[in-house]
Amino acid sequence: MGKKEIEFQIKWKTDLPYNYSIGKLAVKFFEELKENKSIMGSKCPKCGKVHMPPRAVCADCLIEMKLEDMVELSPRGTLEGFTVVNYPFIDPTTGGMRPFPYGYGIFKLDGADTYMMHFVNETDHTKFKIGQRVEAVFKEKREGNIGDIPYFRIIREG
Amino acid sequence: MPKNNVAIVGIGQTKFRSKRRDVNIPEMIYEAVKMALDDAQMEPKDIDAILIGNMDHFEGINFSEMWCGIDAAPGYLKPVVKIATGGTTGSSLGICGYYNIASGIYKKILVVGWEKLNEGGATTGIITAFDPVWERPSLAGALGPLALMANMYAAKYGITSEQAAKVTVKNRSNAANNPFAHLQMPNITLDYVMNSQMISYPLRLHDCCPQSEGACAVIYANEVEAKKVTDNPAWFKGVSTAHYYTFGTDDIMYNLPTATIASKKLYKKVGIKDPVKDLDVAEIYEPTSWSELSWTEALGFVELGGGGKLLDEGITQMSGELPVNPSGGVLSTNPIGATALVRFAEAAIQVMGRGGKRQVPDVETALGMGFGGSLWTELAILGKDPSPLR
Repeated sequence: MGKKEIEFQIKWKTDLPYNYSIGKLAVKFFEELKENKSIMGSKCPKCGKVHMPPRAVCADCLIEMKLEDMVELSPRGTLEGFTVVNYPFIDPTTGGMRPFPYGYGIFKLDGADTYMMHFVNETDHTKFKIGQRVEAVFKEKREGNIGDIPYFRIIREG
Repeated sequence: MPKNNVAIVGIGQTKFRSKRRDVNIPEMIYEAVKMALDDAQMEPKDIDAILIGNMDHFEGINFSEMWCGIDAAPGYLKPVVKIATGGTTGSSLGICGYYNIASGIYKKILVVGWEKLNEGGATTGIITAFDPVWERPSLAGALGPLALMANMYAAKYGITSEQAAKVTVKNRSNAANNPFAHLQMPNITLDYVMNSQMISYPLRLHDCCPQSEGACAVIYANEVEAKKVTDNPAWFKGVSTAHYYTFGTDDIMYNLPTATIASKKLYKKVGIKDPVKDLDVAEIYEPTSWSELSWTEALGFVELGGGGKLLDEGITQMSGELPVNPSGGVLSTNPIGATALVRFAEAAIQVMGRGGKRQVPDVETALGMGFGGSLWTELAILGKDPSPLR
């Protein structure tokens, strides 16, 4: 058939370090996560909406939330939707392939008004059900990042 | 009200493919730009300014307008502005183009969207678009969240996998009539889609858009300039945009409220009372088959939960009352930075009656939609004249 495709290759293997400022509320969140296994949101002093992740501005009211507006949330929540990610891709946080398949869910922690998406330790989609209760699983040795909650587990009834 | 009416007077698009190894980025952009200039019978000197956009980190580059906006697009000694808003990049370009002419700042501009997705990784690139501390670690690009949305949507309204698969069959059958479309599957069947690999439940491989390479260029002109080059332009009747919250999880957005907000505003402005009757064709941004069903509801073509019924009744088919995605849509072609501009361009092609085998008969009014970012929606309605409907 046609001519073989010629490839000219330049290979890079370069670390590109970044240092992100995460804000005072996130610092508090990760301190509490690391020290006390607690999950903190931020509550708008005007409308009362509880945000997870915590943040300094309520988008609905455009007013500031401060450290004293942080509230503790339950590590448990209710599953609103789920999937099992079953395709290969390079994870930009590691530079290597993200291991798959993995369970992935969207749920609202008890006490929060916004949702979160995270890993769920189930890779059989038939074992998931919308409305299931899920619970954060914490690492023994925590470092103060979201990986301190490696996944949520489905709370099986009975 | 705009100071000037705005027309699309020239369109160029490359033949979209998985890989364009035969050209580099500026060479690929040049192909679409040259076609658009020829189509509008213009020379580079006729263009006042360039709007250009893609999602740079999908290719692992940055500030690409610096080296693509001069050689490939005729930007030498002219204003060149870069726009990048994720999936909506093309519609943001398209809408900014509208404002640049409507406001009287420029008379003739070139708007270019492009992407060369297989030079990098779309999923990897999309992950880097999200919050590095909170969202990146578990995010699986766009398809993970789109799978969650499909899962919630199906559960809420009892939509079936078969109804979703029928969207793919419809759009990819349409793509066979579009010489620019990436995936050419003229004989695609429901079984073929239903038996494809489950890649993120409930999304099967063929419920999802491909990754494409290519560029789309569109030339905009005001009324005076448009009349000099064509007696058959496509006129903007109006544009509308709605953006949403900070994090993708701040609300359950499977029914895309931004599309409802943006379309209601636009229909009012343009005088559309019943979109199915008043629009003649729609080119919408459906990254998955499930999305098209849901978006047709959010755009008011049918009540919430009625997307499956709308499809089953044949209304969105080529022969239906409101054909959706005669071009084959995003399920057939997705060069991200160009994708939403292609929606506007295809809407314009339908209004101009230049769609060839994909032409819907007697199009007076057409809708183009961009979707992306934090579940944003951007819309344009084009027509044979710039006025609102009676």
